[in-house]
Amino acid sequence: MTASKPILADNLKQDRNPADHSESSTKARPATPATEVIVKIRNVYKYFGDLEVIKGVDLDVSVGEVVVIIGASGSGKSTLLRCINKLEDVTSGELVFDGLDLNDTKVDVNYVRTEVGMVFQHFNLFPHMTVLENVTLGPRKVRNIPAPEASKLGRELLEKVGLSDKADTYPGKLSGGQKQRVAIARSLALSPKVMLFDEPTSALDPELVGEVLMVMKQLAIEGMTMIVVTHEMGFAKEVADRVIFIDKGLIEEQGSPQQIFENPQSQRTRDFLSKVKTF
Amino acid sequence: MGFEFQFGVMWEALPELLKGAQLTIGIAFVGLLIGFFLGAAAGLAKTSRITILRRIAILYIETIRGTPIMVQVMFIYFGLPLLLGMRVDPFFAATSSIAINAGAYIAEIVRGAIESIENGQTEAGRSIGLTHMQNLLYVVWPQAFRRMLPPLGNQFIISVKDTALFVVIGIGELTRTGQEIIAVNFRAFEVWLAVGLVYLAITLTLSKLLSIAEKRMELT
Ligand SMILES: Nc1ncnc2c1ncn2[C@@H]1O[C@H](COP(=O)(O)OP(=O)(O)OP(=O)(O)O)[C@@H](O)[C@H]1O
Ligand SMILES: [Mg+2]
Repeated sequence: MTASKPILADNLKQDRNPADHSESSTKARPATPATEVIVKIRNVYKYFGDLEVIKGVDLDVSVGEVVVIIGASGSGKSTLLRCINKLEDVTSGELVFDGLDLNDTKVDVNYVRTEVGMVFQHFNLFPHMTVLENVTLGPRKVRNIPAPEASKLGRELLEKVGLSDKADTYPGKLSGGQKQRVAIARSLALSPKVMLFDEPTSALDPELVGEVLMVMKQLAIEGMTMIVVTHEMGFAKEVADRVIFIDKGLIEEQGSPQQIFENPQSQRTRDFLSKVKTF
Repeated sequence: MGFEFQFGVMWEALPELLKGAQLTIGIAFVGLLIGFFLGAAAGLAKTSRITILRRIAILYIETIRGTPIMVQVMFIYFGLPLLLGMRVDPFFAATSSIAINAGAYIAEIVRGAIESIENGQTEAGRSIGLTHMQNLLYVVWPQAFRRMLPPLGNQFIISVKDTALFVVIGIGELTRTGQEIIAVNFRAFEVWLAVGLVYLAITLTLSKLLSIAEKRMELT
């Protein structure tokens, strides 16, 4: 009986995703990401009424890649991110996730969302559930995993984010940093193929930022595909494979962290960086 | 001839009054139980994305809130039989009036509570792949329900007191019982005082139960 225990989590993964079991294993992947594109954005526009927020964005994200998006407030970073998991619909253009055309009404939106995790600036934990219940809600209700196995998975994930001892605590009793780590675990519980982070540390006291970035860095090392909107330039420099500067709904410049931070080509990028440069 | 308060009269009236109170509680309990489901359904319908559901809910809520409960119960008890060609049971008339009337107010309570839940909660639910129904069931409703409790308690108490209006259909609830006792002993002061105290006992017990329920929910 004891021998079956460690295998359990692997079994779960296999059940959910027979095809890419090896990919979802926690082994580190090669530093150079595979070139398989998992998120493909083509000529995407997004309007809110008359307000044009995204003005023709093209972006490919490869499996295992960590993309950091930077840009001024109101430039459309959140909107772009929210289009990728269908919290917003694009007005026009093509958005393909893992081969699924997100504009196709036949595509199951809820399925896409289980495959695209999202971490919000304000955590949005469910306050009426314990930490463990927060993490296991998706596995239990969406994946129909029996409660005991979901709990086991949940506890593993809480351990991964360093919160094993908080399983039975309610979110109201946690610090911001702890809340955000729970939110990350809640997303990971569905073994998403891509994780979206929308300013995950912006609502945190400065001394709590590090613990969240640490977890994100660990995810990156394990090969998670990540699209991160952040003002943490240190994180971008250290962890990003690619940095994208969005200005007024358009990608103004993109490149490796070195290119963007040390040798930005665009004047707008330079202006933006000079304002935020604090590292 | 001066007025002389006779405590004994209240005491003598009590057994009868408690019987009436039982009926009052019965009407209120059954009526509110049904009214809660009716109100929850109408409240959810009003937040629905489906226009026809929203319209039906609005029609129901506005009609009921815009007419006196006394007219509603008389319509059900005296009006409907003409249409149906059969007598309407007074208990049925009373409970359905409470249900329909409280339902309209509860609908607004439910709608308000549901709309007060931050957008981020449903977004978090959606982003882990919950369906619309699952989001409502597991994320929104439990949180909204807590916020409903205080105004629901308020509505429950109002509905308990509204049952007094059912004297107009002659059902032997608490107020009617008081009237009948006075018709025999002419002790209006003592009897109405006793009737009032029995209502107070019911409503205070109800408040207490509700505040216990609220505390319970806060802890978790
Ligand atoms: N649901 C909405 N309805 C109307 N306008 C919106 C909506 N969401 C965003 N906007 C507008 O779209 C523009 C871009 O917003 P967005 O949140 O994407 O910017 P951002 O780059 O994430 O900014 P920040 O750094 O402040 O988070 C803003 O002008 C904003 O007011
Ligand atoms: Mg934003």
